[in-house]
Amino acid sequence: MSILATKDTHVVIQGGLAGVNAARRMAEFRYMIKQPLNVSAFVYPPDAGKTNEIICGTELVMIPIYKTVAEATANHPEINTSLVYIGADRAYAGTMEALNDSHIQTVSMITEGVPEKDAKLLGKHARKLGKTFNGPSSIGVVSAGECRLGVIGGAFDNLVACKLYRPGSFGVVTKSGGLSNEIIWICSQFADGITTAIGIGGDAYPGTDYVSYLEMFENDPQTKAVVIVGEMGGDLEERAAEWYGAKKRRIKLLAVVSGFCQESLPKGMKFGHAGAKEGLKGEGSARAKSEALKKAGAIVPDTFGALGPAIKATHEELLKTGQVKPIPDLAPADVPKLPKTVQESMKDKEVLVTPLIKSTISDDRGDEPLYQGYPASELINNGYDIPHIIGLLWDNRLVSKQEAEIIKRIIMLSADHGPCVSGALTTIIAACAGIGLSQAVAAGMIMIGPRFGGAVTDAGRWFKYAIDNKLSVDDFLVYMKKNVGPVPGIGHRVKSLKNPDKRVKELVGYVKSLNMATPHLDFALEVEKITAVKKDNLILNVDGTMAAVLVDIGFPVDSLNGFFILSRTIGMIGHWTDQKRQGSRLIRLFDYLVNYASPKRREVPPLK
Amino acid sequence: MAKVLEGPGMGLLRKWGISTPNYVVVTSSDEFDQLSQVNDWLQKGKLVVKAHEALGSRFKLGLVKVGLDLEAAKVAVREMLGKKLETVTIRQVIVSEAVDHKEEYYAAAKSTRDGVDLLVATCGGIEVESNWDKVKHLSIETGETLSDSAISSLVKDAGFSGDTAAKMAEFLKKLYTCFDNEDAQYVEVNPVVLSGQGELVALDAVTLLDGDAKFRHKDWTFPFAAEFGRAYTKNEEEVMAVDAKVKGSVKLIEIPGGNIAMLPAGGGASVYYSDAVVARGGKLANYAEYSGDPPDWAVEVLTEKVCSLPNIKHIIVGGAIANFTDVKKTFGGIINAFRKAKAEGKLQGVKIWVRRGGPNELQGLAAMRALQDEGFDIQVFDRKTPLTDIVDMAMATK
Repeated sequence: MSILATKDTHVVIQGGLAGVNAARRMAEFRYMIKQPLNVSAFVYPPDAGKTNEIICGTELVMIPIYKTVAEATANHPEINTSLVYIGADRAYAGTMEALNDSHIQTVSMITEGVPEKDAKLLGKHARKLGKTFNGPSSIGVVSAGECRLGVIGGAFDNLVACKLYRPGSFGVVTKSGGLSNEIIWICSQFADGITTAIGIGGDAYPGTDYVSYLEMFENDPQTKAVVIVGEMGGDLEERAAEWYGAKKRRIKLLAVVSGFCQESLPKGMKFGHAGAKEGLKGEGSARAKSEALKKAGAIVPDTFGALGPAIKATHEELLKTGQVKPIPDLAPADVPKLPKTVQESMKDKEVLVTPLIKSTISDDRGDEPLYQGYPASELINNGYDIPHIIGLLWDNRLVSKQEAEIIKRIIMLSADHGPCVSGALTTIIAACAGIGLSQAVAAGMIMIGPRFGGAVTDAGRWFKYAIDNKLSVDDFLVYMKKNVGPVPGIGHRVKSLKNPDKRVKELVGYVKSLNMATPHLDFALEVEKITAVKKDNLILNVDGTMAAVLVDIGFPVDSLNGFFILSRTIGMIGHWTDQKRQGSRLIRLFDYLVNYASPKRREVPPLK
Repeated sequence: MAKVLEGPGMGLLRKWGISTPNYVVVTSSDEFDQLSQVNDWLQKGKLVVKAHEALGSRFKLGLVKVGLDLEAAKVAVREMLGKKLETVTIRQVIVSEAVDHKEEYYAAAKSTRDGVDLLVATCGGIEVESNWDKVKHLSIETGETLSDSAISSLVKDAGFSGDTAAKMAEFLKKLYTCFDNEDAQYVEVNPVVLSGQGELVALDAVTLLDGDAKFRHKDWTFPFAAEFGRAYTKNEEEVMAVDAKVKGSVKLIEIPGGNIAMLPAGGGASVYYSDAVVARGGKLANYAEYSGDPPDWAVEVLTEKVCSLPNIKHIIVGGAIANFTDVKKTFGGIINAFRKAKAEGKLQGVKIWVRRGGPNELQGLAAMRALQDEGFDIQVFDRKTPLTDIVDMAMATK
């Protein structure tokens, strides 16, 4: 047995993120006691119609979100309790809505900073309706082995440590949320644990006070003793004392009150919860409250620290008189455990997961990316450059200084080729159509293919084929003509022997000036000598030159187009930002640039 | 609760139709000179000059001057502004019109559990202190309206008669309307005086408002004053500024002269820690508290302030078993500030005592314990050590 939150409690949570978080905690509790989640619905107008996903053990449960409490209770008539997680400025209206719903008997308000007047009006309204309004600023309610409302009790490990999976004999009522948890722990270590623990909140005028709950505990046979944790200010503790002293009570009452420090503080200085204020005439002091409770017959230890032994003594007496029986501790194997996430299990080396993908180039799991194991910052600080990163990520190796210089020059030479080429023009058209940077550059990128910029890989492949198979230039050209077609990397639309490509000359000149073997470049240049004789513009173009040089320095054939794509991206981004900067408008082709070769206007025949 | 100084307090009374003397709040002599040129009442009548700060016993401190003409008032304003007391500098002065009167009464409204109590007495000023039995009260239940008949009998019961009774009934109605609409928790008008013109005037007002209701009072543009008879210190104001910004809360009150610094978690536990210090004969150097899972940087700011308290011997980093405040995260903020303070040469000879439980307690406590290797004098305990035992241990060390 328990009070307020029981196995028959069904909850609607009013509020957003904090409410969802509470539901997750409540689900953990229910998992611990092997019961289904008792949150039936959420009320949160901004997300009405959607659902919140709550993890219950190893399952994901979808809990619907409604616009109003009435909708929630109409769809889930089992709801009898509401938890309010609405902001202080809207909490009054939301709580009224819940109190006025005939299905709902208990409303617990977690919201802090609710105006005092609102709290008083809500408390009064609830009393008039014969309902329970707990809070504001309540940490929640938990009944061991039955039900948890809110985050009271903390993390799963703590729930287990405090033996909240099965009822004990002690009731707990506190203003402070942190201390409710402390007392739950103390009751589990010094005695047999709790029945129900309730946070009433530290506000000046909580909706429900100690007396209401003492009355409920008195009528709950499972509860044999109640611990209340009081504070100076107000008269709730005095009222509890009055109730306890009024007649013989079944339950034992233990109490501590904070605020004795007030006596030796500078005059007028007060602190603690909003409600922790001594009266103007000194009433409500910790001493007065303690005295009142003692006089009424409650056990009032001098300090908080003495509470544990007092609870222990009370429990021992209950055992001696046979009112409670010892509860054996669970065998370690029976102690509830929360299912581990895959991450946790892997960390504990309990599971083996077959990876979905394999990466051999980089690792981002630390505080900075590692490229082939080298931290990016250390590469920078040791003078490495972009070409080295390309080498690491494209070919799994640190390239030499000389190779890096060649790569750098290739990128510089092919970064852009003016606005008229397919890639740049497409990017510009997209930019003028108002398309964003990544899509416009991607549009330009799509142009890279066999006829524009995309011949580097193929050129490299066939030059390499020739060298690997020790073909002569003549044999190569025969083979290509028979099996492939035009030689990739040879030929240019505008450049020719008479009008050579300066970029090619530059690159060839530089590479030849170095002390390195260039079999592929040499071969390519020999090919050009033959083809250019056949036709003036069948020269070694920039794609072919890049390809030959890159194969010479050892880059894999499949990576070669990447050098053009990478370099030309620089240009395309430039063209996009250029158009953007100018505020360019939508463009279209002029009619006179089109040869309209379709049939002239004519009659549409009848549909057959 | 949020205390409001006399000026804005009177402003709220006026807003709801209660007569108050003319007054101005000034921050410089020049400002007062200029105001005196445009306000007839400053030139003609007798004036009262008072320090407009959150101070108790202003009379005793010589910060209230009465019966002044304009020139004398100017002198008083000049003398008072900039005057330094123990913890405060007088930055504002209120100058109000003296009201000729014969009779002084008492009226107040205060929030109670069941509603609002209206209090009234035919004796006012300091008289009321010794005649508390003459104060009559009327309870208005939450959600009920104040009836004319109830208020008439209250006024009669208190000993008012005739014309004055009707006027006082009217005054109390306005006071209640003001109280109810302004989310007040306590308003005391003492004295209410019957002026030469036969009008009830509020001469002084103590006003406590519900700070939590600020969201629905856009005209509360005035700052709230400290409630404990002194102005807030710079450190306190800085922590309040952080508190206003973050989820959860951080709080600090400095107590001059103490040597036990407090850095506990939780609005409830923090007071038990303070009690434990006092019970063992210790002197608190401050009150502090963080709760509601505040961000680590907010706890760091609070810790910095606590570490900078003068002459401290111990720092008590206590706390109950948290429900949802992340111990690892909040301790991270504390540890950062400890390291900073140590680097600045603070914390020499200071013993640190830690006790805590809650989410990620193992990691949080281990991180604290590791500070021993950095040369901190720190003792760390977990949930198995009762809440306030660290205070007992601290107080037992020499």
